[in-house]
Amino acid sequence: MEFSILTDYFGQYLEGFRGTVLSSVLALIGSFVIGTVIAVFRITSVKALRWFGTGYVEFIRNIPLLLVVYVFFYGPSALGFTLDGFKAGTIGLTVYTSAFIAEAIRAGIVAVPKGQMEAARSSGLSYMQTMTHVILPQAIKLVIPPLGNQFINLIKNSSVLTLVAGLDLMYFADGISTETYRTFDTYIFVALFYLVLTLPLSYGVRVWERRLQRKY
Amino acid sequence: MIDFHQVEKHYGQFHVLKNIDLHVQEGEVVVVVGPSGSGKSTMLRCINRLETITSGGLTVDGITVNERKTDINKLRKEIGMVFQHFNLYPHKKVIDNITLAPIKVLGLSKAEAEKTAMYYLEKVGIADKAQSYPSQLSGGQQQRVAIARGLAMKPKIMLFDEPTSALDPEMVGEVLDVMRNLAREGMTMVVVTHEMGFAREVADRVIFMDQGQIVEEAEPEQFFANPQEERTRTFLSRVLSH
Repeated sequence: MEFSILTDYFGQYLEGFRGTVLSSVLALIGSFVIGTVIAVFRITSVKALRWFGTGYVEFIRNIPLLLVVYVFFYGPSALGFTLDGFKAGTIGLTVYTSAFIAEAIRAGIVAVPKGQMEAARSSGLSYMQTMTHVILPQAIKLVIPPLGNQFINLIKNSSVLTLVAGLDLMYFADGISTETYRTFDTYIFVALFYLVLTLPLSYGVRVWERRLQRKY
Repeated sequence: MIDFHQVEKHYGQFHVLKNIDLHVQEGEVVVVVGPSGSGKSTMLRCINRLETITSGGLTVDGITVNERKTDINKLRKEIGMVFQHFNLYPHKKVIDNITLAPIKVLGLSKAEAEKTAMYYLEKVGIADKAQSYPSQLSGGQQQRVAIARGLAMKPKIMLFDEPTSALDPEMVGEVLDVMRNLAREGMTMVVVTHEMGFAREVADRVIFMDQGQIVEEAEPEQFFANPQEERTRTFLSRVLSH
């Protein structure tokens, strides 16, 4: 094990780590918002929205992540503009993950007892108000565990940015390994950087879940 | 106040409501009884459009309920509803359960809404539970919170859908007491219940439903002492004999 790799190339590791964190955080927020909207689409009584939501989920989650990213990387040039690897990768990651999050949240919404919707609507709240104040807060509690899984997958999936030169951790590691010829050691340190992100996240998700469990 | 005119409702093949004619006056307490599956809850739920009707006319406070241009949320402000299973919001404290609709629908400030909420919690006798979560309350307490939640909107009508059916026997009384007081204060109420004692004592009029029809309606004394229809007599003999 050559620890000098870590110290000698720490700047590059850090730069890659920064890219991975930034891409993951942006994709996490984006996919959560889009996923929630799509989940609500999938259960409304408005047929057109329901079809759109279902089509979105079924299309996106049944093609490979890399393909989704390629669409955003190579697609724009056909339309006369370009997206760099980081942006295309992050958008692709967001879109891809949002389909899975939509499914998780939809399952949570459906699991909230019907009487909650009836009580809220009968008090004069609109559908949207009921969703925001009554249904979604309860659905979130139910979907924290699957949501945590999706977020962890998202962080790991962000390594796809490498393939479109997205300046993430894996991208910089590729560079380091070609310079040092110590492929194995280089990537062991990469794994550590990923763990620094994912382990606290999965711990945080568990704490969040326990906190809500205690509350009500 | 509430007018059903030849209302029909079908669930697919199933004919749930048959030719319902019912008129509830302002300040009247109407209690609906009948066997399970007779359509009484469905009829109640049509009043605030939790269920839609297939044909016929239904107006509440002069407004046609099943019409495209009717602002249903506006109409629902005027109609409080209490459910068999309370349907309190488990993620909100008691006080926040009650203030949600007044703040979001009536546009009250948080302070005003809390003041109103405390007034009604006081009235149903559990002001000390304002900061609790519903899961920390007994069934009877939860149902009283649900009544306070309905009242906090200052509705013109209160609907009760088997409000005591999910309660342990020793908690039925505290909920009925609250409802009795409400009736005394002149609230317009439609109550679906199996509590014959309550019907006899509090109702201005008792409606008996069976198989989707209103079979008989009468003042409680008449209804219990001298029912006109065979089906009513059979029903009463079953529920009153034990």
